[in-house]
Amino acid sequence: MFLNMKLLAQHTLNGFGGMGEGMSMQLARDGRRVLWLAHESAPKNFTAVDVTDPRKPKVVTQTDLPHAQMRSNSLEVSGDLMAVAYQVTKFGLKPAGFELFDISNPEKPESVALFDASGPHSRGCHQLWFVDGRTVHMACADPELKPRNPKDDQVYRIVDVANPSKPVAVGRWHLPGTMDGDDAPPPQRLPAKFDAGFRAHNTNVYPERPDRCYLAYIDGGIMLLDISDRARPQMISRWTNSPPYNGFNHTVLPLFGRDLLVVSDECVQDNGADWPKLVWVLDARDERHLVSVATLPAPPVETFKQRGGRFGAHNLHENPPVPGAWRSEEVVLGTFFNAGVRAYDVSDPYSPREVAYFVPPSPENSKTGQIQLNDVFVDDRGIVFTVDRGGGGLYALEMKL
Amino acid sequence: MTPDGRTPVVVVTGFLGSGKTTLVNQLLKQEADSLVIVNEFGEVPVDHLLVESATEKAVALPNGCLCCHMRGDLEETLMGAAMRRRRGEIAGFDRVIVETSGLADPGPVAQTLYADPALQRDFKLGPIVTVVDAFDLESRKASAGIARAQIAAADVVVLSKVDRAAGTAGAEAEVRGVNPAVECIPAQHGAVESGRLLQASPKTAPVLAAQPQHASGIRSFALRFEKPVPRPLLQHFLDTLIQLRGADLLRVKGVVPVEDGLVLVQGVRHVFDRLRPASPSAQRGEPALVFITNGVERREVEALWQAMKGLA
Repeated sequence: MFLNMKLLAQHTLNGFGGMGEGMSMQLARDGRRVLWLAHESAPKNFTAVDVTDPRKPKVVTQTDLPHAQMRSNSLEVSGDLMAVAYQVTKFGLKPAGFELFDISNPEKPESVALFDASGPHSRGCHQLWFVDGRTVHMACADPELKPRNPKDDQVYRIVDVANPSKPVAVGRWHLPGTMDGDDAPPPQRLPAKFDAGFRAHNTNVYPERPDRCYLAYIDGGIMLLDISDRARPQMISRWTNSPPYNGFNHTVLPLFGRDLLVVSDECVQDNGADWPKLVWVLDARDERHLVSVATLPAPPVETFKQRGGRFGAHNLHENPPVPGAWRSEEVVLGTFFNAGVRAYDVSDPYSPREVAYFVPPSPENSKTGQIQLNDVFVDDRGIVFTVDRGGGGLYALEMKL
Repeated sequence: MTPDGRTPVVVVTGFLGSGKTTLVNQLLKQEADSLVIVNEFGEVPVDHLLVESATEKAVALPNGCLCCHMRGDLEETLMGAAMRRRRGEIAGFDRVIVETSGLADPGPVAQTLYADPALQRDFKLGPIVTVVDAFDLESRKASAGIARAQIAAADVVVLSKVDRAAGTAGAEAEVRGVNPAVECIPAQHGAVESGRLLQASPKTAPVLAAQPQHASGIRSFALRFEKPVPRPLLQHFLDTLIQLRGADLLRVKGVVPVEDGLVLVQGVRHVFDRLRPASPSAQRGEPALVFITNGVERREVEALWQAMKGLA
């Protein structure tokens, strides 16, 4: 299924095509464009793909995790430095945190440092943001904290990596009421079938507003944080949609020139069991009073809901402020699992329009029998790269807008 | 730049037996992801069977000629195609090619797309391609009015059967007499590079320079705009012109400068598209409106424009 998007190439990444939500492009010193990808689960850690010619992607590097009870899931490249998230499946396991790699030679990534966040109440790091070469913003447990509910372990953390070999934690924030010792009462949890935790997910910080973190907090909604004092982030405002919706706020994408925020949910259950999972458009003219003004038109529910696997919103192209990335305040792209990758015109925020989509056929080795597009990255040539959570690997698409 | 994700509807028109289906077949060989809608009234009834495409992507309209009172069929077909694409019942398509009946004025197809806001969410009018037989010029005289309307509507003309014709001068002169700005592409057996047809855009320069010999009753001219004009005045002018002479406006197309940029104006008879920002390709050339009319003179249009400008 397609509209204004064309497949240029698919690469199943040597048979390890189950990909997570880390996609970041390196403009290598020798002129190559190298796309670094985090895997969804063991055994692979990350894969680097030369996409200089998007019609002929070539695997440059593929690495293994230290053990199978962990996953990388998320990574970011800033210059020749790459940060890779490490999340473990059981509390207390290591390595939990993130690892920094020197990737100046893409064929031979060299470990520079391991930031340890392991502890008896820690699953480590699920997601990180690293765009300035100096600071890692992440959703990661802090061993100093003990969550009242084990699902709430991952908080917002700021780590200074100006000296890459010696990362230093400089600040953190968590939703009041979620940790032992908090004055605030514990938050009201969602019904058990939707309870995914009050914890951080995406932690975006942009050069346009270096004093703001655009934080998604899963069942806790989203928050705008004042991080002008990195040691003491302060919440400016919070917007929630659950209840009555079913939680799992995932990404906050600010469109600075438009005073808009685009907020995605994540679908985490198969066959539409947690539908609706949507992408919301928020009026942010007054950052203390966020107002939802629209949702991006959902793919046709009856077509996809029972098709198999997950169906609903997930990652957005986040306009990363790095060389090689496409940035747009008019067009928003997101992945919707079995409904593929989709692009929306938000030039009228009250009436977003779908302008392009691509739904690949189910990959051969799919567990769900359906495509499950997980993440999307658009480069400054307008090439759309998207990855499958199952076995389909990497897809390179041309967007005709 | 606001993206325009709408799917273009390319109209292939031309007189009976001019070679429309041959051209459509050639287009499909180059542009496979096309949905073809064939209108079979009055022509070889098996036309749609000749369209060498996946069957799911070829649709024959059942109810005859695409004239005004029957254009509901086209609306329903296009709307249905958009719905089936969204639901995944058909894989997708990058463009729609509508092959009209040889006895059809292509204007109603354009009007359908201008006038229906629901259709306009998914579709936009692409180039109108008119196939003109360069060999048998006499054949068009049977219905000269329709033949002229087809040529007047064209964004690009394909001169067919050039292998059989002694030359293309006669056919080209006939085309220029109606639509002096249009590009004429000679073709043997429909062999034309698809990009030349699909990227066709309004051209004003030749009209401004030419002193054409008009076919009977047909007038073509351009109205220039050297300075930006108020958008409400432009809209009021078009509304008034439509009210006075809409039935005789065979085609009006061009770009006009307004306060905040260039807008695209396009209309057929009494139905016009809403004013839209002009695409970069449409912005090339001098800002002007090209008129192809049935007896409406340049001086009438200019007088109306000057009078309305003076009153504004």
